[in-house]
Amino acid sequence: MDDFFFSLLLAGISVGAVYALIALGLNLTFWTTKTLNFGQGSLMMLCAMLTVFISSQGVAITLAVVGSLAVVAALGMFIERWTVRPSLQSSGGSMGWVVSTLGFGIFLQGMAAKCFGSQAVAFPDVVFNAQDFVTLFGQYISLQYLVVLAVAVALILAFELFIRRTVWGQAVHAVSLDPELALVQGIPVRRLILGSFMLSSILAGVAGVLIAQIGGTVDPAFGFDLVLLGFVAAVLGGMGSSLGALAGGLLVGVISKLVGGYVSTAAEHGIAFALLMLALAVRPQGLFGRPEVSKA
Amino acid sequence: MKINRRSLALGAAGLTLPGLVRAQSGTIKFGFTAALTGPFNEFGEGINRGAQIAVEECNKAGGINGRMVELAEVLDDQLVPDRAVQNLRRILDNREIVGLMCPSGSGPTLATADMIQADGRPIINPQAQTPTIIYPNGPDKPPRPNLFSISIGNLVESEKLAAALSEFTRIGILHESTGYGVTGADLVRREIMRRKPAARVTVESYNQRAQDMTAQLVRVQRANAEAMLVIGLGADFAVIRRNMSRLNINLALFGAAGAVTVPYIEGAGDLVAGTRAVNHAAFGRRPMHGAAQKFADLYRAKFGTDRWYGPDAANPLISLAGTVGSGYDCINLLIDAIRRISSTAAADVVRALDQTKDYEGATISRISFSPQNHVALKLEDLGTYEMLKRGDRVVLELRD
Repeated sequence: MDDFFFSLLLAGISVGAVYALIALGLNLTFWTTKTLNFGQGSLMMLCAMLTVFISSQGVAITLAVVGSLAVVAALGMFIERWTVRPSLQSSGGSMGWVVSTLGFGIFLQGMAAKCFGSQAVAFPDVVFNAQDFVTLFGQYISLQYLVVLAVAVALILAFELFIRRTVWGQAVHAVSLDPELALVQGIPVRRLILGSFMLSSILAGVAGVLIAQIGGTVDPAFGFDLVLLGFVAAVLGGMGSSLGALAGGLLVGVISKLVGGYVSTAAEHGIAFALLMLALAVRPQGLFGRPEVSKA
Repeated sequence: MKINRRSLALGAAGLTLPGLVRAQSGTIKFGFTAALTGPFNEFGEGINRGAQIAVEECNKAGGINGRMVELAEVLDDQLVPDRAVQNLRRILDNREIVGLMCPSGSGPTLATADMIQADGRPIINPQAQTPTIIYPNGPDKPPRPNLFSISIGNLVESEKLAAALSEFTRIGILHESTGYGVTGADLVRREIMRRKPAARVTVESYNQRAQDMTAQLVRVQRANAEAMLVIGLGADFAVIRRNMSRLNINLALFGAAGAVTVPYIEGAGDLVAGTRAVNHAAFGRRPMHGAAQKFADLYRAKFGTDRWYGPDAANPLISLAGTVGSGYDCINLLIDAIRRISSTAAADVVRALDQTKDYEGATISRISFSPQNHVALKLEDLGTYEMLKRGDRVVLELRD
């Protein structure tokens, strides 16, 4: 395989996997509440910055990651309780959750700047460093890229299995279809919603840690652009579909890199997004989404 | 009570008079807007600290002809041009401000340059690199009358970088997509082509804060580049260096002044070894010249061996010159001009600045301006450094 093409493909798949994780996190809350947490980017940032801070106190990096994920999971519950639930409970289908989740994200950004400083800080290598690689068919493959891909795919597949094969997964599915009927059936809807926000936040945290070790630095503004790309991946794949999130993320990542490599790096996102718009014009429900049917 | 025009005029005069008196006899006031917070506060907070040291030093020595100096308006723009414009409007509305310092980057400085020129009060640019800030009609035309610069300008930097890259024939330039990056890349490319017409230069851009630069790097690699220059900020440079390692790209790596900062050294870790970069020569020479050493000592006494200074008390970071020292020099130049001319009137201070001759600054050992030349930094004030790993520490050694 051409080295040039292979490098672009691998990088595209790797960053695309991170977009997929973000997309899956967005899907989760969309299933249970039909809302999206636009503060996901700040949770990514916070998890990465907390990891840096905790590990700088002499704590093992894996423990630092776990501790940071616990904090963002708790914040996920907070977001559901104080930013999403009030606007959903208000009459008239308020869109206040858009502003409040985004606002909470900006608040977290400010707090991180206050506590950790606003400059970029070095992110430690979690499993491998940038120099670790394997050779496959004569191609040089970074282990950091492979870890990102493996973690993202494993999480998404595990999630898909959870939804399809477990009782709780079926319950989530039921809530996504009709929360009121699910409540009548005795499904703990409130706990499921809370759980979906926690899990969504954990996925954001994992994505933050994965992408921070690729870049090597993290700062309070980290994550905002990535959420946009994750959102695009979710819509392209089909809102609410796990496999769609994976396919959408990988497509956005690979198309961006191929356009950057073969056409122009300046047009990396411009042309890629134009292609995606075209794809959505042909298939508005996304690649794996189902057209919405409304009964009279 | 009857209020007529005469009493109103007298009242207004009465209100205004104390201000006038205060302006004459109170403190001498300076102001500036800079990125005091946000991701670029390394530069804005840096010049703020430099300015604070200059003011304290001046006041400790009795001020200017007995009058104390003060940083009366210090506002935060986070390097956002719109905010810099609003802040500067507020500063310029304060008629007691007699001298200013430009914001920390090219974007905010370009956005405010016309406003400053129209106002007429003297202002000195510590860090912004774009040449049009001082010479809007080209470097061979007259400068803006009241704008002066001690920053590492793109013109001089490109000359130094092109000289450092002259041993290579195939060169890649990776630059951020801002005014600073675009102008810098264009000037370096032109200078390389002027020196070596047979050279092949591949230019690629990236957006600040991008987390993966694979596409840019493989394009440079495909062009068979032997060396690569990065024009951007430290955190992005770290992303690029790590990305190079992941792709097994081993080119001679060069960086512009903005790149050689703490985020690069911390973010890229051991990978920084071998990187060469252009920056102020003053802090790399041993012994440092008097004003540089004095500034370093003052900084360490006030702020300690922090992120800007670095961990080694005897050897401040080279980047301290650009991030903090430039703010110190700007305020000192204003103080020096006011002291020489014994006036705070804008036209007088501008005239005095025009007559600055061989002033010993911390970042530039001899600063001179003239009505035709408002840019102090010359080629010999820059050095090419190589980053070396010594034990667990990264050191920068001056090569030429």
